[in-house]
Amino acid sequence: MIDTGDTWKLGVLFSETGPTAIIESLQQRGALLAIKEINAAGGVAGRALEPVLCDPGSDPQRYGLLAEKMISEDCVRVLIGCYMSSARKEVLPVVERRNVLFFYPTLYEGFEYSPNVIYGGACPNQNSVPLASYLLENYGNRFYFIGSDYIYPRESNRVMRNILRQGGGEVVGEVYVPFEAGPEEFARILRDVAEKAPDAIFCTTVGETTVQLYRAYHAAGHDGRRVPIASLTTNEAEIATVGAQVGVGHITAAPWFNTLDTPASRRFCANYQREFGPDIQVTSCAEAAYFQTHMFAAALDKVGSLDPDQLRECLLGASWDAPQGQVKIDPDNNHTYLHSRIARVDERGDFIVQREVIRPVKPDPYLVTPDLNDRRLRLRKAMPKARTS
Amino acid sequence: MSNLISNLRSLNVLVLHPRDSDADDLVQQLNRIGCPVEAIWPLPDSLPPAVDVVFAEVKEAIPPGLSKLFSPRPDQRPTLIGLIGYENPSVLGGLLDLGVQTVITKPFRAFGVLSALMMARHAWLERLEALRNEEKLRTKLEHINIITEAKFIVMRHHKINEKEAYKVIRSHAMSRRCSTIEIANAIINADGLLSKLVVDPKDGRD
Repeated sequence: MIDTGDTWKLGVLFSETGPTAIIESLQQRGALLAIKEINAAGGVAGRALEPVLCDPGSDPQRYGLLAEKMISEDCVRVLIGCYMSSARKEVLPVVERRNVLFFYPTLYEGFEYSPNVIYGGACPNQNSVPLASYLLENYGNRFYFIGSDYIYPRESNRVMRNILRQGGGEVVGEVYVPFEAGPEEFARILRDVAEKAPDAIFCTTVGETTVQLYRAYHAAGHDGRRVPIASLTTNEAEIATVGAQVGVGHITAAPWFNTLDTPASRRFCANYQREFGPDIQVTSCAEAAYFQTHMFAAALDKVGSLDPDQLRECLLGASWDAPQGQVKIDPDNNHTYLHSRIARVDERGDFIVQREVIRPVKPDPYLVTPDLNDRRLRLRKAMPKARTS
Repeated sequence: MSNLISNLRSLNVLVLHPRDSDADDLVQQLNRIGCPVEAIWPLPDSLPPAVDVVFAEVKEAIPPGLSKLFSPRPDQRPTLIGLIGYENPSVLGGLLDLGVQTVITKPFRAFGVLSALMMARHAWLERLEALRNEEKLRTKLEHINIITEAKFIVMRHHKINEKEAYKVIRSHAMSRRCSTIEIANAIINADGLLSKLVVDPKDGRD
């Protein structure tokens, strides 16, 4: 593992093919954009950052194998990557055994800590409570859960059910869709939705399944403006894929939306689209990959070495002015203080922020049941600036 | 049992381990889990009040100061989790002597502490529940013996069958507003007393 090059290597482990490529390719671009910006500004301590790219093809086991390969063959000592928890779980033992620092820029279900991981996405206490209170306040108290069939949706639903119950909410249906589900599966689910007539759908499907679900929902005659699909994962790219007609009215909770009108956010969007083309949508997961890569470079600049222990010491407690606003790595648990915003898709297919939490929310990855009335999670009406111009 | 999971943060945890990086790692993970944690070293003379779970280092010889911290009565001792660096027979014997519910091995990893904490607490709660049931059954068995004995006394004295004898005892209990077991005990005592008075023949002659 002797670094002989005159660049700083960063392993970038996102799928460009397979069911989650729709999200992960955007995360990959987020990391690549940050690298490009850093290098354009002269690199770190006079050396350029060099991305080492691998495509695990959305197959969890391949993530572990490729992480191992990047470490042993490409001398990588810092990695960024992974979307699904099942993929992260494959990489975790590898980075711990080889003592490699691993940035994970994705929301997930919590209940994990590894000294080798810096978590850049939201855990349930940061996004579930704001979404639940918004839905209870604006739509009603009967909910239908639809999720993909793996750990994240099941754990998210457990948390959501607990929070909704505190506010008098009721779960009238709960289904898990396999990744290979076809149209008849969605038709069957949507017949049940029509029968149970919920006030909102809480959706934890990911990737292609999300696109199919939103399309089928619209095709079956449901209207997102009346009974929305609410999600923690559905993003700009998926809404662009299904189109404004299908997407209108649906709701997502995330730290950042591409309509956020702040200088840092505008700059990020403009650079992203200049780099990858105007048709490419920017998403909150891409934003997380982007700010994590920048935070890594800032730490590397201070430490002057890729030594994971030194980098971690420098990163814990560090803050950065991300597109979503100020973020900070919590030294207690390696997760990140994040903003929390609720946005609704308008007639043009844009996410318009409706509510936001005033301050970044402290991550609490081991919280079994978030409190609906937690005053740190109170929502305020979004600032008028947080709209598309 | 999901109650146990959502109540984990209310457990008061004590860590008895020399102050080193192992202890730091464990205490930090317990903080992340969200339990109120206290770490004490060297061993205190007694446990702080209201400790629910103790993580204690177990080596080849258990210091007397450690075992004396824990009452032999299961309902008066906290849930115990052993922290071990070796698993040779001496250490294993120590774990049994101390009566731990589960073990965490060194070097500590964050992953696994939560499951160990929950399963140890679960085992401790189940043991307590089993003891309570055992106690209840023991009392019940004693009561059955007492009532049976009282029934036989009543049957002998009144030449009635067992069912009727029980009726007599129960109606007495009801009219005096006390339990059948109290009446049964009173009958046995009275019978003992009476039989003593009658049996000694010398008393009558003198």
